[in-house]
Amino acid sequence: MAGPRIPAVGARLRAWRGSLNGGVILMALLIGVMGFYVIYPLVLILINSFNTATIAEPPVYGLQAWRDAFSEPGIWRSLWNSIRVGVTLQIVALPIGICISWLLARTNIYGAGVFELFFWISFIMPTVATTFGWMLLLDPNTGLVNTTIRGWPIIGSITFDIYSFWGIIWAHLVSNGISTKVMLMTPAFRRMDASLEEASRMSGASTWTTMWRITVPMMTPVIIVVVLLSVIRIFSSFETELLLGVPWGFYVYSTKIVDLARQEPPLVNQAAALGSIILVFLAAVIPLQRRLISRRQFTTVTGHFKPRIVDLGAWRLPATLLVALVVFILDFVPILSVLGGSFMTRFGFFHLPKTWTTEYWRMALGDPRLTNALENTLIVAVSAAVIGATLFSLIGYVIVRTKLPGRSILDSICWLPSAIPGVLSGLGLLWLFLGTPVFRPLYGTIFLIIIAYILGGITLSTQIFKANFVQLGNELEEASRMSGAGFWRTYWTVVLPLMAQTMVMVGVIKFMFAAQHASSIILLATSETRTLILLALDQVFSGHREVASITVVFIMTLTLGVALIARSFGLKVGIRAE
Amino acid sequence: MGLLRIENLVKRFGPVAAVDRVNLEIREGEFFTLLGPSGCGKTTTLRMVGGLEKPDEGEIHMAERCLVSPGRGIFVKPERRDMGMVFQSYALWPHMTVFENVAYPLKLRRVKRSEMRDKTRAALELVGLGGFEERPSTALSGGQQQRVALARALVFSPGVLLLDEPLSNLDARLREEMRRELKALQRRVKVTVLFVTHDQMEALSMSDRVGIMNRGRLEQVGVPEDVYYQPATSFARDFLGKVFALAGRIVDATGEECRVELKDHAGPPVSVRARHSGESPWAAGKEVMVAIRPEQISLAKTAGDGRGNVLAVTLQASQFLGDRYEYTVAVGGESRVLTAPAAQRLKPGQQIYLQLDPEAITLWPTAQ
Repeated sequence: MAGPRIPAVGARLRAWRGSLNGGVILMALLIGVMGFYVIYPLVLILINSFNTATIAEPPVYGLQAWRDAFSEPGIWRSLWNSIRVGVTLQIVALPIGICISWLLARTNIYGAGVFELFFWISFIMPTVATTFGWMLLLDPNTGLVNTTIRGWPIIGSITFDIYSFWGIIWAHLVSNGISTKVMLMTPAFRRMDASLEEASRMSGASTWTTMWRITVPMMTPVIIVVVLLSVIRIFSSFETELLLGVPWGFYVYSTKIVDLARQEPPLVNQAAALGSIILVFLAAVIPLQRRLISRRQFTTVTGHFKPRIVDLGAWRLPATLLVALVVFILDFVPILSVLGGSFMTRFGFFHLPKTWTTEYWRMALGDPRLTNALENTLIVAVSAAVIGATLFSLIGYVIVRTKLPGRSILDSICWLPSAIPGVLSGLGLLWLFLGTPVFRPLYGTIFLIIIAYILGGITLSTQIFKANFVQLGNELEEASRMSGAGFWRTYWTVVLPLMAQTMVMVGVIKFMFAAQHASSIILLATSETRTLILLALDQVFSGHREVASITVVFIMTLTLGVALIARSFGLKVGIRAE
Repeated sequence: MGLLRIENLVKRFGPVAAVDRVNLEIREGEFFTLLGPSGCGKTTTLRMVGGLEKPDEGEIHMAERCLVSPGRGIFVKPERRDMGMVFQSYALWPHMTVFENVAYPLKLRRVKRSEMRDKTRAALELVGLGGFEERPSTALSGGQQQRVALARALVFSPGVLLLDEPLSNLDARLREEMRRELKALQRRVKVTVLFVTHDQMEALSMSDRVGIMNRGRLEQVGVPEDVYYQPATSFARDFLGKVFALAGRIVDATGEECRVELKDHAGPPVSVRARHSGESPWAAGKEVMVAIRPEQISLAKTAGDGRGNVLAVTLQASQFLGDRYEYTVAVGGESRVLTAPAAQRLKPGQQIYLQLDPEAITLWPTAQ
């Protein structure tokens, strides 16, 4: 009995040990690489907040940076401003988001599907496009809205100034504030079992009573998740505040860091101290965020639910018109405004002898700065898309499908970047590349920017992959292993082809991210590695609005265009709360 | 005079008439069941009564009040219909406790606080859930959730109680228990019930009257025994239970009785009471189907006195099912399955005799 068993046991042991060794090496590699790019820069920020020498000089440790940071009122004010903007925005956006989601998901409003598409477009639309579009309309002196109403009675005396606190709130609302909430909440509202509302009607409640007493309270868990997800990202907000706050000296957390790091001489250590303050905040919220996202939501879904629709009766048309107005403000106004800006001699000046011109387009297309930035953007975005999708599919696979030790560490590392403001990770990378002599030659290359963008969406990307691997069911892979294929062969021949759609999806998300976000690379880019978004910001600040609107048109085309193409292939790029 | 009157009710989903000209009267205090397979329109009918769905044509009246009439532009909203409803999924609000769930209809009716507490308690006592008031509604078993939903539907003493397959999410044992309780409860509170189910056992055991629905039409309405033993349509016959059917030809159709010669079966013709022969007039020479509920057939080892309809058949196989035997017999060259109480044991291969009560047989045209 014992004789024949021994070889079998031995073989199993060998196989186990063999795969363990390979797996451990792979895991160590992944943790090492991710740790190096994600955690090490943050550690550098923390360390260098106690350093008084600038980057690339031998460190001198001391508390000077902290002392300076704390004694400068501007730093505290910037933190307070971030909180103020974030909280006000939530208070305004949430009720609007709830009402619109409810209308779209649970009532017989006209064209709910079309509206939903437009909220998605608004969500995809780059922040810089909406902000810039509204700048052209609400500039206190030259804004089209202000110049138009100037002659009108009563409201003629009002100036809508976008360079103000409420202007910033408005820009946030129209860029992502509303559309994110609608996108997150509409599916949740739709999945709610309609009999819960019907039971309320049968108990004697009207449509409105039912909405406020049953539907909204039922949705509370989802609403809380949506709010918390926004609150966690309160310090990440950048482009809008840069465009609308900095001109009048209104700084928020992220714009303040950039300001400090860009001063002459650069106050990078103070920036690091300011960054460290938030790291403490993040240490508290990241576990919270992780729990929120990974936890299964309320069990309002039943197996046999039928989405029933609330009859709005006489309110059907007014409600439709109201949502149409919101969609017009969110989508059409910024697009028309940016396009108009690029074709007008002077935006908003309709009385000029030559109102329309293609002169700026001719200038821009011949400008090497634009073509250079376009080229950079494409290289960066495509690289981030391809490398990101490949790397994160592997990470997602390892976390979900293997039993390797260290999975939870890898998972935790992947959760970190989501809550870290782009500016902060940019600052960390700056230190990593400038402060480490070996890497210094890489500074100023496009490689740096690619890395910054790959790191930008780790959490979302790995979450998408993890969810899909969980769904896939492992029999398909096990069948491949039983047929004799090893880990890598199975991964390449079975897993990746099955995940092709998800890969493309993540690639598209990364591409769009890279084409429109400035915060994580603003400290890393030089004039040679400048991308479109940085070019647009520079153009706005130097006052070339007409040219800037052309750059913005390019950014819009890249992001919206790619998203729409992906959508036409059935890939709905977006976010979900559950 | 019916409490609830449904006239020519029509509901279309696209080109399909989900409910097709349904007429119905439900009496005060009656337990009325709409029975049919899924998609037959029974739930849609119920939802139109509740006001959760609008009919395309027809009218619904409750007492002398018109609840809905598309023709006259009348539609009473569900919250103004004074009806309680129990949903298939129970639809308990997870953000409220048991007490809050049940008290909700009273709160909306601005009932005084003390009265609200008393009535809610009483309703929970009624369904056997006294003392569960402060539990979150999610911390209850399926059966308990069901009771809370029932208490919520009854707490404001509605004119009609609508039940939409309330037992279908319970396991078999619990379902049986709830069936008895629900019936007892209805007797006690004397509420008029409109019950919808696809389970013929539930329908037959609980109802005062049953309406059988098929493809949007109400095919037969009657007390459970009548619809079971004297189905008016072949659908009602097959849906309500097992059928023992034999092909034959009418040899004599004069007067009260019909005589049918069975195909491939030697022996005297089977006699059938003509009044039971549902769908069309009968004449000699017509090909027909003789149908009887299997439990109405008695099995015997001997031919007996030869009175009534006796069929000699060969027992092919038997299976012991605990409380009964299932026998496979060869009749007219085909195998048929019968069940009989476990009292007498019959051996395969044996010749046995089936006795078919002429009163219990129904006659059907042969499917072409």
